[in-house]
Amino acid sequence: MATPAAKQYKTLGEEIWKGRAEKTNAELFALTYGALVVQLIQDYEDYEEVNKQLEKMGYNIGTRLIEDFLARSNLGRCADFREVGEVVAKVGFKSFLNISPTVTHGGQPPAASPTRASTPQPAAPGSSFTLTFDENPLAEFVELPEEALEGGLWFSNIYCGVIRGALEMVQMQVQATFISDVLRGDESTEIRVTLSKYLEEEVPVGDD
Amino acid sequence: MSLNALADPPPALMDAAAMDYFTIELVNTLRESSAVAIARTKKIEQEMADAGLLPPPAPPSTAAKRDSARDSMTSTPKLESSSKQGLSDEEEALRQRLEAIGMHVGANTAERLCHDRALFTDTLDAIKFICKELWVACWDKQVDNLRTNHRGVYVLQDNTFKPVTRISSWEGRQDALRRARIYVAMSGGIIRGALARLGFQAAVVPEISSLPQCTFQVKLPKGS
Repeated sequence: MATPAAKQYKTLGEEIWKGRAEKTNAELFALTYGALVVQLIQDYEDYEEVNKQLEKMGYNIGTRLIEDFLARSNLGRCADFREVGEVVAKVGFKSFLNISPTVTHGGQPPAASPTRASTPQPAAPGSSFTLTFDENPLAEFVELPEEALEGGLWFSNIYCGVIRGALEMVQMQVQATFISDVLRGDESTEIRVTLSKYLEEEVPVGDD
Repeated sequence: MSLNALADPPPALMDAAAMDYFTIELVNTLRESSAVAIARTKKIEQEMADAGLLPPPAPPSTAAKRDSARDSMTSTPKLESSSKQGLSDEEEALRQRLEAIGMHVGANTAERLCHDRALFTDTLDAIKFICKELWVACWDKQVDNLRTNHRGVYVLQDNTFKPVTRISSWEGRQDALRRARIYVAMSGGIIRGALARLGFQAAVVPEISSLPQCTFQVKLPKGS
């Protein structure tokens, strides 16, 4: 059920996508990424390591994308982690990849002991949301060989890194991991994003 | 009309800035992975040499020219050609990987663009296809200038080559040039892969003398 807020994000996402000055062929992205994964498998010979490298790559991209995103979207701080999920799904992925994963919110964990934090926390660590991808531009031409399936490769792991990197730049430390992928024969492609903690804003060195 | 649209849907699009960031990180990731692969190969060679199965690795060639101060520990035969171009082993390994990825992209892109037409019989037609349709599909414009010596060598010139238009470096022009030269290894691969899928074996050498202009020398076998 789309709340007024959810619809507003959907509209914002579409507007930003339409307003993006330069677009490029996503097939080139898919082909390049696929060849990259193959090369990484050859170089590392270890699927876990490939997963890590893809995530790291995504992290570096995410830390840059977020600035671009904040400039375009003019969005302020999210009120709670629910809102973070809505924004990532409806505005984030939409404005860069023109896809709209659906978001399901995990239950809030029970309230922790009285917080010692100086700032009020909009969500307890442990809050989570799950992104479900009906379409995945990266996976369009891909079929994974048996070996990769057994080896535990998460083909699109770059997305997890992008989410982690972007959110870290806005003071949220999260874990983003795949929990299922149609490329592996699962029913759906899902990423779970869990809040680890809020990060204190860094005070520049020299300020007392 | 709708049937045509179903058979040939317009390509999905994505944001160009995101693609740029991806390309930058792609190069960084491959630089690291190729170093890992080289280290592993050298370790195996060393182990086999220690076990007496291989002669010891050759000492570094002092006559080899390097344009960077980096030393290579050994000069393995298959990377020897790189020392003639002034690339370290690591840079050559990176260049090869970028070219290989480009070839995959170029071959598949050319195939999709040509799926409903007959193969090119004429070299010039194939080159023109590259200059127009492939260039547009990949880089949003056509080649600005095409020259040939009519003996199988073509020079394709793009005055504002998309992959390098945004390269800037706070370290200065020389560094920007060096980075651009690395990126266009993939573009050269795209051209080479496309031609290969069309049935033409070519050598493609990218060259940048001043940004954002880039030329590609395409050499086809004699008789083309």
